Amino acid sequence: MSGAIAGTGVPAPSLVRARRSSLTRSRIRAAWLFIAPTLVILTLIAGWPLARTIWFSFTDASLNSLDDYDFIGFENYLANYDGEWLGLLTEPDWWHSVWNTVWFTAISVSIETVLGIVVALILNAAFPGRGLMRAVILIPWAIPTVVSARMWNWMLHDQFGVINDMLLRLGLIAAPITWTANPDTALWTVVMVDVWKTTPFMALLILAALQMLPGDIYEAARVDGVHPVRVFFRVTLPLIKPALLVAVIFRALDSLRVFDLIYVLTANSRDTASMSVYARQQLVDFQEVGLGSAASTLIFLIIALLIVITLALGRVRLGEDPR
Amino acid sequence: MADVVLKSVQKSFGKAKIIHGVDLGIRDGEFVVFVGPSGCGKSTLLRLIAGLEDITAGDLFIGGERVNDLAPARRGIAMVFQSYALYPHMNVYDNMAFGLELAKSSKGEIDRKVREAARMLQIEALLDRKPKQLSGGQRQRVAIGRAIVRDPKVFLFDEPLSNLDAALRVQTRIEIAKLHTDTRATMIYVTHDQVEAMTLADRIVVLNAGRIEQVGTPLDLYHRPANLFVAGFIGSPQMNFIECKVAGVGPDEVLVSLPSGGTLSVPVLPDGVQTGEAVTLGIRPDHVRVSPRGSVGGRVELVEELGENHLLYVDAGQGRRLTVREPGDARHEVGSTVSLDLAREFCHLFRRSGEALPSRAGTASPAPSSPDLASSAA
Repeated sequence: MSGAIAGTGVPAPSLVRARRSSLTRSRIRAAWLFIAPTLVILTLIAGWPLARTIWFSFTDASLNSLDDYDFIGFENYLANYDGEWLGLLTEPDWWHSVWNTVWFTAISVSIETVLGIVVALILNAAFPGRGLMRAVILIPWAIPTVVSARMWNWMLHDQFGVINDMLLRLGLIAAPITWTANPDTALWTVVMVDVWKTTPFMALLILAALQMLPGDIYEAARVDGVHPVRVFFRVTLPLIKPALLVAVIFRALDSLRVFDLIYVLTANSRDTASMSVYARQQLVDFQEVGLGSAASTLIFLIIALLIVITLALGRVRLGEDPR
Repeated sequence: MADVVLKSVQKSFGKAKIIHGVDLGIRDGEFVVFVGPSGCGKSTLLRLIAGLEDITAGDLFIGGERVNDLAPARRGIAMVFQSYALYPHMNVYDNMAFGLELAKSSKGEIDRKVREAARMLQIEALLDRKPKQLSGGQRQRVAIGRAIVRDPKVFLFDEPLSNLDAALRVQTRIEIAKLHTDTRATMIYVTHDQVEAMTLADRIVVLNAGRIEQVGTPLDLYHRPANLFVAGFIGSPQMNFIECKVAGVGPDEVLVSLPSGGTLSVPVLPDGVQTGEAVTLGIRPDHVRVSPRGSVGGRVELVEELGENHLLYVDAGQGRRLTVREPGDARHEVGSTVSLDLAREFCHLFRRSGEALPSRAGTASPAPSSPDLASSAA
């Protein structure tokens, strides 16, 4: 239809429809022009390193001779020498780090979500000093992870730490606990510090969602006498779900890649090692660029898979709930 | 069904006093409209009755019970909001049923009520839709349906038609009037639209700056405004006001001298005004006529043709502008000079303070044009 209008003077209408108008063509050209810088930069800073890592994972490269390596196929992942299976996929330490990471992600993101909602609901209510509270609560998020991990390391220290001291004085424990070294408490300690640090982020995203909600429906609910708890579960939660899901995906992505917090708090302890800590150990400590790259590639695949699953589940739920 | 009584109700937000002591009795089954310019406190007053705001001072009774300290849900009211306030993620059925589920009504009872209300409002076909799939008029009907299912003693409407287009507004207005006839429930309705107020109300409450200016039937307010504010607010186009001086006082008339020269005898009781006192003469555009023997001269500034009638805006000199409404098409062009005749029996006089002088008993100003007034006044 627009072709017929634009195509004055052009012979047959069928021909006109087949060819794009010059305006459309120039718009498409402009669009590519604007996208081009992003594509180039993404290729350079994301595409190239990723491709190189995947390539190295199929080689026996070592950190001290990066130019001298051979292609060895899938041997870094799985190989059979004289009837014995070797490679990353048979490595119990690797699977342990995968388990640590997934467990850490599930627990910490769950706690952060619940606490984030609670904090956001409080910050959304009108009370004196709300502006100050909104700023103060962001402090843990603003501190660099290495700094806050160091700080917690000292607070959790078994001899000089303030936390052991307080618990001892209160009589809650009989002897100091080595929070970050004890296998029973190490991962929980990491979760606790992570919750402390990233709950503000969750709260902020959820607060933004809460502030988008129309106020009148809450007045309608008040007039109808609906209990606030019921209003939360039947009105607020369904309405902020899309934003909540985005926040959860953001945090899950971060948690699955967790490195600095665990590395600073517990160093290379096997009890707490995440996938990233494992990959770094192979790559730097053991100089095994091939194996480390294989681990990195697997991390990439695992995260991609988990996010695809989350998005798929999320979209199904969002589909039922058209706002 | 219940009456609503307000006794010197006041409301302050911090230091700002919004409602300055309102006394008002609303009878059981009455349709009362709060009207006034924006910021006059009409919505605040409604929210005080609903319980969405706390009453600072004074008492509120619904059905004889003092409800100042009762939660909104326990006051036996239902409210329809300007913005509809529908739950966006629930379908029409759930929107109407949500408030009932709590009242421990049985499933069957809820279902019966929702379907009954849907039938009444002709939205049965929409029960499975989400609010965003509905038009504005349909949304407002759902909001009204949500109020109906609660079977309230008092319906509260907060500018329910403001977000609708003109045609829907007329249609929904008629439906609300019908709802009132059908349910005979007490209804309190807030609007800034005087046409809604005039057509819907049993009685209109005119509010200004947190005070009641006048309470009365629509025709009462139109024909016997108590003061300048009500006279200027009710009626469109606005009443003409002319500053005059009292030239003489009779037993049941006041002689005023017009600024353009000449005098006019207005049939109102003098009620103590003195010769020489400044007063304001008010006359509606319908009661000003272009006439060769007119007492006020002027130049036509603007003509508005409305089809069934037309408006002339006449510059009467010294910045005074008079509006004239005459039937049919305009016979005068912009720039032409006309002389205007003021129908003395339709004139109002207001003191400096804004208060109206009482009209002569029996000759209530509009006698010829409105036979219904006699019955409503009786």
